[in-house]
Amino acid sequence: MRATTRLRQMLTAPGIIVAPGAYDGLSARLIEAAGYHAVYMTGAGTAASHLGQPDLGLATLTEMATHAAHIASCVSLPVIADADTGYGNALNVVRTVREYERAGVAGLHLEDQVAPKKCGHIAGKQIVPAREFADKIRAAVEYRTDPDLVVIARTDARAVTGLDDAIERGNLYAEAGADVVFVEAPQTEDELQRISHEVKAPLLANMVPGGRTPALKTSELERLGYKIVIFPAVCLGAAIPAMERALARLREAETDDDGGRPMGPMDIFRKVGFDWWHEVERRFASPS
Amino acid sequence: MRGLLADRPTLFVPGCYNALTARILEHAGFPAVYMSGYGTALSLLGLPDAGLTTATEMQANARYIASAVSAPVIADADDGYGNAVNVIRTVREYIGTGVAGIHLEDQALPKRCGHVAGRRVIPLAEAVGKYRAADAIRRELDPDFVLVARTDARGAHGGSLDEAIRRANAYLEAGADLAFVEGPTSVEEVRRICREVKGPIFYNMTGVSPRFTLEQMQELGITIAIAPGALLRATIQAAYDLAVALREDGPLAEAAFSEQFRKHPLGDLHTFAGFDRVRRWEEAFLPPEELEKYERSVGHQPSRDTSGGGAGAP
Repeated sequence: MRATTRLRQMLTAPGIIVAPGAYDGLSARLIEAAGYHAVYMTGAGTAASHLGQPDLGLATLTEMATHAAHIASCVSLPVIADADTGYGNALNVVRTVREYERAGVAGLHLEDQVAPKKCGHIAGKQIVPAREFADKIRAAVEYRTDPDLVVIARTDARAVTGLDDAIERGNLYAEAGADVVFVEAPQTEDELQRISHEVKAPLLANMVPGGRTPALKTSELERLGYKIVIFPAVCLGAAIPAMERALARLREAETDDDGGRPMGPMDIFRKVGFDWWHEVERRFASPS
Repeated sequence: MRGLLADRPTLFVPGCYNALTARILEHAGFPAVYMSGYGTALSLLGLPDAGLTTATEMQANARYIASAVSAPVIADADDGYGNAVNVIRTVREYIGTGVAGIHLEDQALPKRCGHVAGRRVIPLAEAVGKYRAADAIRRELDPDFVLVARTDARGAHGGSLDEAIRRANAYLEAGADLAFVEGPTSVEEVRRICREVKGPIFYNMTGVSPRFTLEQMQELGITIAIAPGALLRATIQAAYDLAVALREDGPLAEAAFSEQFRKHPLGDLHTFAGFDRVRRWEEAFLPPEELEKYERSVGHQPSRDTSGGGAGAP
């Protein structure tokens, strides 16, 4: 079954879809191995890991779609990918949808920020008129070649024009054909609840540690009526301090042997599909 | 590139759209080549020049072109792919491709071809910020990198020649090396631009703009003139005519064409492609036994000593 079809079925099946954020193929593999049913490709994490740059609209469509393809091709889970603003106007959105489809993602989210965009949880965001963005959603929906591709409309209006406008926009985008609505950065649990009551569409919640939205548990979000929850920073947030600690220890101890059981090459390769490839080699490439 | 600008009256730079057409231009004797964004969009993606090409795609094409020729390359960098912050990354990436310079324009995102209606420009102050950003980063990374500031204000919605000239001067002050006023529609307009813009002039001889001889351009005071689309059109015409012949006359039209192509100055295709150079490398760097593969093997035999075959020949 296509990943798009699987994600669409998950949307109608009971239960909340929990999609931890992958910032590369390795983290996507770890998410799959941990037993999750969906992967989220974080744009902020892509910019940080792939380019070593902040999430300020510096990553191009080509870089994002290439990264999505790498992630989608190393896991069998449906991938929901950040597609920023769609990298321009409605014409660019059409190209973005096609490129992401070819990358093999199951769903993508497009946001109503002015291009170049900014991370949803930092100041200085600007948004385009609601009508203009509704047209971009219509373009995305009309020009997807796979009818099962899940189009998620994100509005960044909460921080710019307020919650009422964000809710109004959410409904407008759903009418324009969005399969899921993502109201970015509500500031309280009450706001999360109001969104859930007033937006007439399946909803995505974004849990960013240290962001504007209170940290809720997946079960709480499910109770509030959310259908998808993404944790974009879970892997990257764990990796950065772990790498920093390891680097500091190396400087101090002059060795990376910390006395514990080391991650040997095979331990690492096994995390990224060694056994599968070994089987391919055994069947097709070993000397007879 | 800076050397060419210093010692020449008007530098005439035809446009290429890929590594092959860049090599053809170099082979024909042009000392510099121009990478057309229109041609890149159409040849690489099969799309119109309407802001659909990404920075990554443009830079990949620029890198292929710059690697294929030793002539300096001036590349189209559209609007810099965003605001001043994006321009920093764009200039850095283009410098990394090996091109000698770029032009950046003041169109609102997403841009479109400068000779197609429906363009809009960003406010002057915002555009100046982008050129200042471009100048700052190239000074840091490669002070010789040539920055051409293009203004689309002449033909944009609500624009005028006066506004375009005003902007061109502001962009030169912001740090651009050459000013490129896109789309003048008469000789008189070109004359005014050359008179009133206080810096070297980059002229786009295409579309709605008048055509000149080199002497006329020199007299007008044009520093660089590009003809961006001629090779693209030539390719389209030749390829289409042959495609129609193949369809209408059948497979033997290929034989007839090949017979005729052999008489063309570039008709020795394998030599032009550079197989001789590969053979020289093989002789220089591979074990002699490897070269035995050429004996009693059917097909084009690369020459062992002639030159030719693109840039980088040892």
